[in-house]
Amino acid sequence: MIDVARIDHWAANGTGPFHRASVMSKLFFLFCVVAAAVLSRDPAPLAAAIGMLIMLAILCGLPWTTIGFLSLYAAVFASVYAVSLRGGGRIAAVVLLKAVTPAYAAGMLIVSTPYPRIFSFLSAFLPEVLSAGLFMTYRTLFILLDMMDNFATAIRLRGGFTPGNFLKNGSNFAKGIGALLVRAVERSARLYAVMAVRGYSGSMAERSIGTISRNDWLPAGAGISILGLALWWN
Amino acid sequence: MTHMHIPDGILPVWLWLSGFLLMVLVLAFSLYRLRGMDGKRKIPLLGALSAAMLVTMSLEIFPIAYHLNLSVAAGILLGPSLAFVAAFTVNLMLALLGHGGITVMGLNTLLLGAEAMLGHTLFYLLPDRLDTFWRAALATVLALFLVSLLLIAIVGASHVDVQTFGHTHPPEALPEAEHPGAGSPALSTFAVMVLSLGAVGWLIEAAVTGAVIRFLSRVKPDLLAHVLHKDTCAAHAAGGRK
Repeated sequence: MIDVARIDHWAANGTGPFHRASVMSKLFFLFCVVAAAVLSRDPAPLAAAIGMLIMLAILCGLPWTTIGFLSLYAAVFASVYAVSLRGGGRIAAVVLLKAVTPAYAAGMLIVSTPYPRIFSFLSAFLPEVLSAGLFMTYRTLFILLDMMDNFATAIRLRGGFTPGNFLKNGSNFAKGIGALLVRAVERSARLYAVMAVRGYSGSMAERSIGTISRNDWLPAGAGISILGLALWWN
Repeated sequence: MTHMHIPDGILPVWLWLSGFLLMVLVLAFSLYRLRGMDGKRKIPLLGALSAAMLVTMSLEIFPIAYHLNLSVAAGILLGPSLAFVAAFTVNLMLALLGHGGITVMGLNTLLLGAEAMLGHTLFYLLPDRLDTFWRAALATVLALFLVSLLLIAIVGASHVDVQTFGHTHPPEALPEAEHPGAGSPALSTFAVMVLSLGAVGWLIEAAVTGAVIRFLSRVKPDLLAHVLHKDTCAAHAAGGRK
């Protein structure tokens, strides 16, 4: 399971240079890395880019191994596509690196930026329903993740798990998911009630683009370097 | 398996840009349809069900490395328009986690949204005399099958040329022996992989969705009575009559 709670902890409590940079510069950094991945047709610049990203993560005190594991998740599914292309090892390497490099950059963004700051930035461009929906999803996600942590234990303790009996286990698992949905809906109703009491009137996410500061040179410079490398190689 | 985990830079620019454009159009239409909704109630509900989708997507089923989507369940519970908004929300968060490329987010939202919309439509088209479990399960299998075909069509439309892909040299400069078996994109291989692996996943998803919807119909039947979004339709209808 993707440990969203741990990611949120790193994002909220880090103090490195990447954490201090603005959301705008980090999104620009991500945009540059994605553009580099889109433009690259050779594994070499992508391998160099991922090397640069790992170095940057280490220097900035980011959890570089965890980001690596997160980005490998993208590689697992990309490998199916790489195999289906039947283009040989070189093609497979390009496909995998195209998957891993932007995923690593996205990982650097999320472990150094609390989600509310990202949503705050996006809400300047997105309709209110979407930005508020994103924020509410984020809030509810942690509540549900906590419940899921105890899910397997609860099923075992209540005799809902029988080794080898897939039908019974599947049925109990589905009921657990059903209970999760019921709780999610109840939680949303409770959240609505609390928000209404606090004066909620349809707008909740703070809209802020932020300003450029001297802390932004690092992500912006790294992004431009990686994109420049990809362009130069082509 | 009905959303693409294809990385950035594989699909042609025209394709993923078209995906983004189409996603924006459908999203705008969905938001237009939801303009009269009770936002104070629907936004928290949207968040709750999107979060539930994200949580189930993060649970991998061993040994087939399949993850549930719950998109059809979300479609049945939220209605087509709000379910499409949920699909966008989920895909944006997944893209930020590297679960599929950022550039394919538009296409992925369309696929997941189509799954939810088709699931909703099929569930309510299937006769009431069928047990809730079977209605939901059948709707899920049909929706996932149709969207898988759409996924294969998208990959087929991409015309990924492995002769030029991954090289900076012109294709004619490449020695043939360098690419044994490389020729036209192996769409058939991709289709076989998606349909064979996917079929197992559809059945699991159908069983879980069927059981979840049946559970909800017994525990919280108002969720299935369409109260959640029929009031929106009713408000629109009332507005139209005025």
